[in-house]
Amino acid sequence: MKLTTLQIEQLYKFTRQHYMEHYDVQTELVDHLANDIEQIWIEKPALTFKQARDISFKKFGIFGFMDVLEEKQKQMNKKYFRIILGFVKQWFSIPKIIVTLTMFYCFYLLLQFSFAQYLFPGLFFTILIIEFILLLKRRKKLNTKFKTTGKKWLFEDIIETQGNGNVIFGLFYVFQFLTPNSYDNLSTSSSLIISAATTLAVIIGYVSLIVIPKKAEYLLEKHYPEYKLV
Amino acid sequence: MGNQKLYKGSLQTIILKLLAQNDKMYGYEITQKVKELTKGELKITEGALYPALHKLEAEGLLDVEVAKVGNRLRKYYKLTENGTKETANKLEEMQEFLKTMQQLVNPKFSLE
Repeated sequence: MKLTTLQIEQLYKFTRQHYMEHYDVQTELVDHLANDIEQIWIEKPALTFKQARDISFKKFGIFGFMDVLEEKQKQMNKKYFRIILGFVKQWFSIPKIIVTLTMFYCFYLLLQFSFAQYLFPGLFFTILIIEFILLLKRRKKLNTKFKTTGKKWLFEDIIETQGNGNVIFGLFYVFQFLTPNSYDNLSTSSSLIISAATTLAVIIGYVSLIVIPKKAEYLLEKHYPEYKLV
Repeated sequence: MGNQKLYKGSLQTIILKLLAQNDKMYGYEITQKVKELTKGELKITEGALYPALHKLEAEGLLDVEVAKVGNRLRKYYKLTENGTKETANKLEEMQEFLKTMQQLVNPKFSLE
């Protein structure tokens, strides 16, 4: 006996109830459960759909789908950081390197001004606010997409949460720990380190909040063969 | 049923070997195939199979393909070029391991 379309939908709902909210991970588990339920029915045809489903689910062990989800998240995060690194590396190529060096030099010059103690934190907070606005825009866009399609993709979530969270916190930590309490008599090496860290934070922010989200559709299509099928 | 713990470290090798013989396979098919080949001696648990498959995929050893089968989507795994090379390495390692274990548990004495 084969599962009906309605029962397949019920299996999707069942995985959602067990904390699997991403369509890509759900799909594989739904197919697995469906195959197993059909096999169970061959051996015990008297069982109801729910009884067979519960027998199948028990085979995943006491943690249910959690082991599957954890490993998948770990792999996706690794993949995300590899992509970020790839984009950051690309950044350090001509002519982008000229932009980078100019930015670095501007930050360095800024630190030499007598009013750097106002300018530098001001600049930092401006960048933070810009990134915050980008974050809100992206979240709104994703929420609209979810409402229309009803599907969440794990990799898309990672692009959003990692991209926004890490970048903003990264910038915050650079500001918190690397910027000096006093800008008077700043040594050359300190100025160089602060300028380099700020430049890097800006590049990572730009890559995570603008470049990668812009390429998100392409990355999702490349990563998920099923993305276009549904 | 044998001691499943003994098989645990070999899960990736088993998956790679099966894929080397079968072009492409999906998760449930792998569990069933292993059960069939080992006559029920080895049962790959679902909670171990998918994390292993996802890990191999992330390492670039497996490629995925999705097809609509009936009223549902099915995810197939197949070896990449690197995966094929790695399968040969892992099988070689496995042979070495088996040889060493054989020597340990069943040493043959000779008069040489």
